[in-house]
Amino acid sequence: MVEFEDVTKIFPAGLVALRGVSFRIDPGEFVFLVGPTGAGKSTLLRLIYRDEIPTAGRVSVLGRDVGRLRGGAVALLRRRLGVVFQDFKLLPRRTALENVAFALQVTGAPVEEVRPRALRALDLVGVAPRAHAYPAELSGGEQQRVSIARAIVNDPPLLLADEPTGNLDPRTSWEIIRLLAEINRRGTTVVVATHNKTIVDVCRQRVIELAAGRVVRDQRRGLYAVEA
Amino acid sequence: MDRRVRSDHLPARRGIARPGRAAGGRLRLAAWRARYVAAEAAAGFRRNGLMTAAAVTTIGVALLAAGAGVLAAVNLSHLAEVLESQVQVVAYLQDGLDDGQISRVRQAVQDVAGVRQVRVVSRQEALRVLRQRLGDSPAFDDLEAHNPLPDSLEVAAEDPRRVRHVAAAVAAVPGVAEVTYGAQVTDRLLALTAAVRVAAAAATACLAAVAAVVVANTIRMTVLARRQELDIMLLVGASRWAVQWPLLLEGVLQGAAAAAAAVLVLMGLYAVAASRLTAALPFLPVVPPSRVAVLLAATVGSVGVGVGAAGAVFAVRRFVAS
Repeated sequence: MVEFEDVTKIFPAGLVALRGVSFRIDPGEFVFLVGPTGAGKSTLLRLIYRDEIPTAGRVSVLGRDVGRLRGGAVALLRRRLGVVFQDFKLLPRRTALENVAFALQVTGAPVEEVRPRALRALDLVGVAPRAHAYPAELSGGEQQRVSIARAIVNDPPLLLADEPTGNLDPRTSWEIIRLLAEINRRGTTVVVATHNKTIVDVCRQRVIELAAGRVVRDQRRGLYAVEA
Repeated sequence: MDRRVRSDHLPARRGIARPGRAAGGRLRLAAWRARYVAAEAAAGFRRNGLMTAAAVTTIGVALLAAGAGVLAAVNLSHLAEVLESQVQVVAYLQDGLDDGQISRVRQAVQDVAGVRQVRVVSRQEALRVLRQRLGDSPAFDDLEAHNPLPDSLEVAAEDPRRVRHVAAAVAAVPGVAEVTYGAQVTDRLLALTAAVRVAAAAATACLAAVAAVVVANTIRMTVLARRQELDIMLLVGASRWAVQWPLLLEGVLQGAAAAAAAVLVLMGLYAVAASRLTAALPFLPVVPPSRVAVLLAATVGSVGVGVGAAGAVFAVRRFVAS
């Protein structure tokens, strides 16, 4: 599903974000990506959805060498990935429904299918009643649900989440994590970058820990940190 | 429960759920794209109302200036044409030629290179014109009997700028006594009309360039204002054309709307100005509004649309290409 082979990412300014990173994520897995701010979690995710290309090494996603994708192929790859962010990244001048529908429209989904499918996605994440609200009228948790609905509306095999609970209170955070776990239970591979210790410790899923751009731990049913 | 349809290969280049890809698919795809682009462009107008209004206003003002330049150029060029058409050579004939001789001289002058038209003005006609111009007075009655004026030929040159050569050649024709062409006046007039043409063209070009820069900047600002939106579009897998074409169409529509407004305003002002000018200075050759309307709409319209599209391309390429 996702495979990193000795991946290094150095930004033009000379900043080394990732150094010799290798791992493999299989279909159906739920993976926490942990580590302090600046450890390279976001860069790693951005390499997966081809917002960046590796300086060295090979990133393959859904069987494709992401570093070699050009133009239209990038768009096609992204339609097969869902991405969720800490700041939700909803379009402020579009309603919840329009935000979700847009992700379908750009894929060329038949016009008559767009609305029902978008509504179904909103229903799945539990915000169907707020379909016609604008992002500013929604709570943080609701906005994150809408962004998750947008991420899964194309039925992607892979869902990436970059600090999805970073802006949310603990209770709402749990609801969002439960939602991601539910999506994973239905067969979607989920990768969550987080530094929420409680959530990682309770969930006991696979943990990949980054420190200063290197993988320092890759553990089944891991905790946020190695117990001292 | 399991509503998802999952295929494990990446359907790159085969199109995901895109309408039809076999026979007829191309047409359906084109139709779908046209509908998408139109809907997104219209929505862009609606969602970015204030920014759009600002852009249309700015482009409109720039086009107003460029359009005024066009009107000025058209009128100056018309003025130059009228003045040039009034430049003519008059050949006075020797006394005592009979009608047959006059006719032969006329033919000889007509054959001179560069001569467009020759008209015979008999001494009687010349006197009548003079009488009209100076106001009827009894003194002319006396002159009717002893007309002092010679017969003459009014010679129009094909190219007013070559009138000096034509005059010299006509003077050499046997039977021609004297040639006048208002040498100084003509030379100054021609120099003036040339300068006027150059100035009008330069002014129009400058105003158009200013308009283009203003428009490019305005569209860049709208793109920057929507950068987040464009980022998200690309993130959810919108292809480049899906991001670019609606913006391009928006630019074109903005240019067209601004051009329409500028043409309406300019035509209104021009109609008023033309009627006032004609009333105050009847001898001034003003191009009638009905004759400039089409030209103005065509130039301002195409400049507006072109500049809107070019500005959009310029602004979008820098953003999306990265």
